[in-house]
Amino acid sequence: MKYLPFVFRNLFRNKLRTALTGGAIGLAMLLVCFFMTMPGGIDRLLSEISSNVRVSVHNKGGVVYDLPSAYVQRVRGIPGVAAVNGEVWFGGAYEDEGIVTFPSFAIDPDTVGAVWPDYGIDPLVLEKFRRQRDAVIVGRETMKKYRWRIGQQVSLVSTIWPVTLAFKIVGEIPNDRAPHFWMQREYLAQALEAQDRQLDTVGTIWVRVADPTLVHDVMTRAVAMFRNSPAEVNAETEKSFFASFFGSLQSFVQIILVVTGLVALCVLCIAANTASMAVRERSREIAVLRAIGFGRGVIFGMLVAESVVLATAAGSAGALLTYAFSAMIRTLSGSSMGGTEVGALTGFLVTREIVARGIALSAVVGLVAGIAPAWGAARRPVAETLREVF
Amino acid sequence: MPEPLIALRDVSRVYRRGADDVHALEHVSLTIAGGLFAALMGPSGSGKSTLLNLLSGIDRPSGGDVVVAGKRLNDLSEDALARWRSRHVGLIFQFYNLIPVLSALENVELPLLLTALDRRERLARARLALDVVGLGARAAHAPAELSGGEQQRVAIARAIVTDPDLIIADEPTGDLDARNADQILRLLLELSHELQKTVVMVTHDPRASEWVDIVFHLEKGVLKETYAGGAGKARAPATGGPP
Ligand SMILES: Nc1ncnc2c1ncn2[C@@H]1O[C@H](COP(=O)(O)OP(=O)(O)O)[C@@H](O)[C@H]1O
Ligand SMILES: [Mg+2]
Repeated sequence: MKYLPFVFRNLFRNKLRTALTGGAIGLAMLLVCFFMTMPGGIDRLLSEISSNVRVSVHNKGGVVYDLPSAYVQRVRGIPGVAAVNGEVWFGGAYEDEGIVTFPSFAIDPDTVGAVWPDYGIDPLVLEKFRRQRDAVIVGRETMKKYRWRIGQQVSLVSTIWPVTLAFKIVGEIPNDRAPHFWMQREYLAQALEAQDRQLDTVGTIWVRVADPTLVHDVMTRAVAMFRNSPAEVNAETEKSFFASFFGSLQSFVQIILVVTGLVALCVLCIAANTASMAVRERSREIAVLRAIGFGRGVIFGMLVAESVVLATAAGSAGALLTYAFSAMIRTLSGSSMGGTEVGALTGFLVTREIVARGIALSAVVGLVAGIAPAWGAARRPVAETLREVF
Repeated sequence: MPEPLIALRDVSRVYRRGADDVHALEHVSLTIAGGLFAALMGPSGSGKSTLLNLLSGIDRPSGGDVVVAGKRLNDLSEDALARWRSRHVGLIFQFYNLIPVLSALENVELPLLLTALDRRERLARARLALDVVGLGARAAHAPAELSGGEQQRVAIARAIVTDPDLIIADEPTGDLDARNADQILRLLLELSHELQKTVVMVTHDPRASEWVDIVFHLEKGVLKETYAGGAGKARAPATGGPP
């Protein structure tokens, strides 16, 4: 510790060089930190894509027009389709008559888990939803809005169908932005039957495709299947654009990893170069120190410390800068104005853990870079070095 | 007569230079009593620096024994030698060799970093040493802000701050004008005669022999002559030839 002031003095001996080396290390660590988010971020993105290989099939005339409910099984038969769920708009009004404040649908309880695996609904909830005829699953946004609790009874007056239904909330969709109110299709069908009406249509058919690469294919086939029929359909997906990149993204991750390694290596070389220059230009002083009685260990330690301090300080600055940047983005996207534009990209934000890893990496770089020059300097015979300078 | 502080017995130092050997020192034997101011003279390349290196444990002999303050330096490991030097030897070089990024005071403090003293004690001692060489007022100055003579006095302060038995100076006045050289020589003399340090100095300055107690004259690695200097404190402390 008592040598530390001396170490710092030496660091500031050549301010320009220290600044340049520090700048290079800092910038490189900045890159490395961003790169380090990539495997995780892309992973997140991919899983989002693979869960959003969801296609909506609806009437070509627009979502307000129905489709025959027989279409559901026909779409199910398209190769590459993993699950389907036909959804009927219920249009329930809760507090004010005739005013719909959240989207309510009648759906097939058996395939909810298969079509919306990414919603993360508790399997036990899904099981209750299947078993209880009047069961509903409600998105957390609506739950919060009305301070509903699970187990609670609620009644909705449909603005579409001539029914008023009482429901029991069996669970929620654990997502703050989910407003959905999902009831059993069979519950609605029975209520209509009591009035001698038949429920034989669906509004939207939700399709989960087995593989992102098949999304386009499934969509084309679905459209083709009902061409020239009384109800032609359109198919849409939000994420098909990303999905086409699915394959290339994975090799991208590998390239990124290689680039990260190269950048780290580059920093190592810069740091090692600086360390060896520092040692070379000071060889006389080092010899003098050793002549005075500084042992090899102390000399070695001081030189390595110099390299470690420089690399760690510069690397930390770079890493913390990425963190500050990410924190800023996070704040923006968290605020109501920024909205959800960042969305899936939050996976690419630098976390504390990444910053810690960046700083640790900088320290290791400094250590490794400093070892060889410091070792060489500490081992040089004193008498010879002294001679060279006299 | 007390046991000599320095005893060289049949010391040789051979350097390998490519295929041939350079005999920098050949069978040199000498003793120097404690508290003496000794000069090592001789033409360039005669082995003076080599001898100093051996005395201070910076280098090891190819043959013979180097005994300083009762310790046989041949036996010590590299690190043990460094530790030994830090306690027993103060070094002064021709080109001062101060650390440019440290102030005068910090340069003097440097050898004390190797001791167990805390910072306060270290600085107090460094100040004292600077006072001894008359540079107490320049403590905060960087070496570059000091004249050659002042830098050499800082170097002397650095050499004495650990209170060593032996002070070794390789051409300490070689780069100084006469006035500054005299100042340095007077300082070294005082260290020897008033503080009982043993000072061994290499010099080319013919006037220096007036200041010292004893002169060793080397030529081509051989100790040619030993004679009393002008300071005249030498009462047969030195012997040439094999003991
Ligand atoms: N490390 C070394 N390698 C080879 N030769 C050396 C080395 N050190 C000194 N010498 C040689 O030993 C001789 C004595 O050198 P030195 O002790 O430096 O002389 P002086 O100090 O009297 O001028 C010279 O010939 C010099 O070239
Ligand atoms: Mg010499």
